[in-house]
Amino acid sequence: MDIIHSEHTHQESFISKYIFSRDHKMIAKQFMITGFTMGFIGIIMSVLFRLQLGWPGERFWINDLLLGSWANGGVIAPDKYLALVTMHGTIMVFFMLTAGLSGTFSNLLIPLQIGARDMASGFINMLSYWIFFISCIVMLVSLGVEGGAASAGWTIYPPLSALPEAIPGSGLGMTLWLVAMALFITSSLIGSLNYIVTIINLRTKGMTFTRLPLTIWSFLVTAILGVLSFPVLLSAVLLLVFDRSFGTSFYLSDIYIGGQALERFGGSPILFEHLFWFLGHPEVYIVLLPSLGITSEIVSTMSRKPIFGYKFMIGSILAIGGLSFIVWGHHMFVTGMNPFLGAVFTITTLLIAIPSAIKVFNYLTTLWRGNIIFSPAMLFSIGLISTFITGGLTGLILGDATLDINVHDTYFVVGHFHIVMGLSAVFGTFAGVYHWFPKMFGKMMNNTWGQIHFWITIVTAYGVFFPMHFLGLAGVPRRYYTNSTFPMFDDFVNLNEIISIFAIIAFLGQLIFLFNFLYSIFKGKKATQNPWNSNTLEWTTPVKHIHGNWPGEIPEVHRWPYDYNKPGYEEFIPQNIPLKEGEIESSH
Amino acid sequence: MENNLSISNYDFSENKKAQEPLLWIGLVSIIMFFAGLTSAVIVSSTSAAWKIFALPNTFWYSSAVIILSSITYQIGFSFIKKNNLKLPKILFISTLILGFAFIYFQYIGLTNLYQQGIYATGNQSTTSSSYFYALTVLHILHLFFGIISLGVVSTKSIMNKYNSNNYSGVKLSLTYWHFLGILWLYLFLFLSIMMSK
Repeated sequence: MDIIHSEHTHQESFISKYIFSRDHKMIAKQFMITGFTMGFIGIIMSVLFRLQLGWPGERFWINDLLLGSWANGGVIAPDKYLALVTMHGTIMVFFMLTAGLSGTFSNLLIPLQIGARDMASGFINMLSYWIFFISCIVMLVSLGVEGGAASAGWTIYPPLSALPEAIPGSGLGMTLWLVAMALFITSSLIGSLNYIVTIINLRTKGMTFTRLPLTIWSFLVTAILGVLSFPVLLSAVLLLVFDRSFGTSFYLSDIYIGGQALERFGGSPILFEHLFWFLGHPEVYIVLLPSLGITSEIVSTMSRKPIFGYKFMIGSILAIGGLSFIVWGHHMFVTGMNPFLGAVFTITTLLIAIPSAIKVFNYLTTLWRGNIIFSPAMLFSIGLISTFITGGLTGLILGDATLDINVHDTYFVVGHFHIVMGLSAVFGTFAGVYHWFPKMFGKMMNNTWGQIHFWITIVTAYGVFFPMHFLGLAGVPRRYYTNSTFPMFDDFVNLNEIISIFAIIAFLGQLIFLFNFLYSIFKGKKATQNPWNSNTLEWTTPVKHIHGNWPGEIPEVHRWPYDYNKPGYEEFIPQNIPLKEGEIESSH
Repeated sequence: MENNLSISNYDFSENKKAQEPLLWIGLVSIIMFFAGLTSAVIVSSTSAAWKIFALPNTFWYSSAVIILSSITYQIGFSFIKKNNLKLPKILFISTLILGFAFIYFQYIGLTNLYQQGIYATGNQSTTSSSYFYALTVLHILHLFFGIISLGVVSTKSIMNKYNSNNYSGVKLSLTYWHFLGILWLYLFLFLSIMMSK
């Protein structure tokens, strides 16, 4: 059956093809465009508050232009600074790095790489995107309401989030934040259900679990983490809504406002922290694992070598996923936690170093003596390995109760999680976009601009976050509007300026990516069916998308996805090529 | 694993094979939601402000009703599988009525608590009473979807849409209904223990 014939069997209108599409590839693009737009907004926010941190009290026309009444005279108001920090964190963690990353690549790659016509439920998939879209709108609307957006930090600890009268951002802005997050959680949950069921039920013939690409393993574990942890956040958010709107006291006790005791008692803000971080820590891996999966695929393909230690890589993904549920207490070492419990959380946290180190070791051994092609995707993958190591090492300090207490709530923490979680996930996202752009749009991205984008990004990213560790070690606290009123931090004024300059250059560097992305969609070189000579099934589909992916029958799988430079055989052997006579299937 | 279906035979509307696993994983997420809430109850119960109170007997009646509804639904389902299509109509409608009866008894139980001065919100409420109301109402919210599915199943049954070869919709709804029954029994047992600590 040819492509033309199959298109005739499944006619779609403009609305059903581009708006309310049930085709996973279109939904992937919708997630990507929406998630990246949110990410762009989140990054702009960070540049604006970095202006304040680098040059406190200075007037900037850009603040006037973009923030209006939030920055009268070009200087961000202190309460609006908190709103910007809160919204930056929320948007980047959830809307960009959870939905933008996982929503894009899980949707794009799961059916294509396992050999399925589409997701288990196209309707649920469509619903997942549109609920996400509405949550984005609600979150953005919260920026414009009276009192401003939520300002309690992305972790929205009570009582700032539980009492509408606490600070300006605790009013309608906080309510909309909660509504947006409830919608976001719903979207993420039903999306995850779909991913899991699709991977378990709809694999093509021969696609056993030990022949699955590591991308799929990472998406599967990510989805499982989502299904198990997001409902707990939803329960925490609901109790918070009850406290805010219905007068309960789940998180409130012994609160004094203006010297007056609040007539709410019996609750505990620490309870919220437990519930929040039960999601919050798995969330780190919800954003990180897809990037690690993407990196595994790209490192092997672009090194023209089989991934080293395939089964250990799977074991590591499972171990990281499992351990992520028993480490949440390391975010709460300073809450008066019993020291014995602190020791338990220290041990479980440090255990994560083992599977993480296995992954790093396997990436490096895959690269070792590989015939490396330094495409932008490969550069960003190597960048991820770098940030995973450097950020992971500082994680050892924060995971140890005795060391963490010294740097808790300082810029050390900001530097750590931005490198290990933020940069790693962003690098994985960029790597994925560069690598699978031909599959998404049938065009190639410009290689030179991609290389320039990478070098600007990695240099400036380290330029921003590496010095923050020194600020933190010196005791500079995070979330402060300005440190210029504390003489003890005077020595760090220049460092803050340098960080802000790097942040501005980093932002400008992303404009190169944006230009390359948009230009390539319309004017890019046409892609061939398998431009990277890769083994996975997505490259056996036609360049021109069809709903159902393969015009004829779904290919059968005969081998694992990493048969590169197999001694005595071709340079690469796609998964759908049967074993030759006498050929032994590669040992994993 | 998926058969090598040709695209011309593929049904793009929904993949029926995946509906049951979708439901089961959905149930796991609901379990985690209530696990989060009941964990919160355990943490809060260690507070000095935790107040105990006796639960009205009405909740025993509602528990009996939801067990009975599961039985009638299960029997109706087994008749469908045997292609006996008359009795299931009565049994499914009976289950629907029992579902409404459960909600009614829950409402009466909560009203009794309110009349005893045990409030859900406000200055006179306590965290224990707030939890009791919250968990009960959240369970009813989940039950609401079960009632909708029961309504659909009952209607389709009356229209003779089910038989021994076509009962997947009933099976999905039945699984969810049993789950809601077990969930309530767990919540009732758990809250009874926590409210008497």
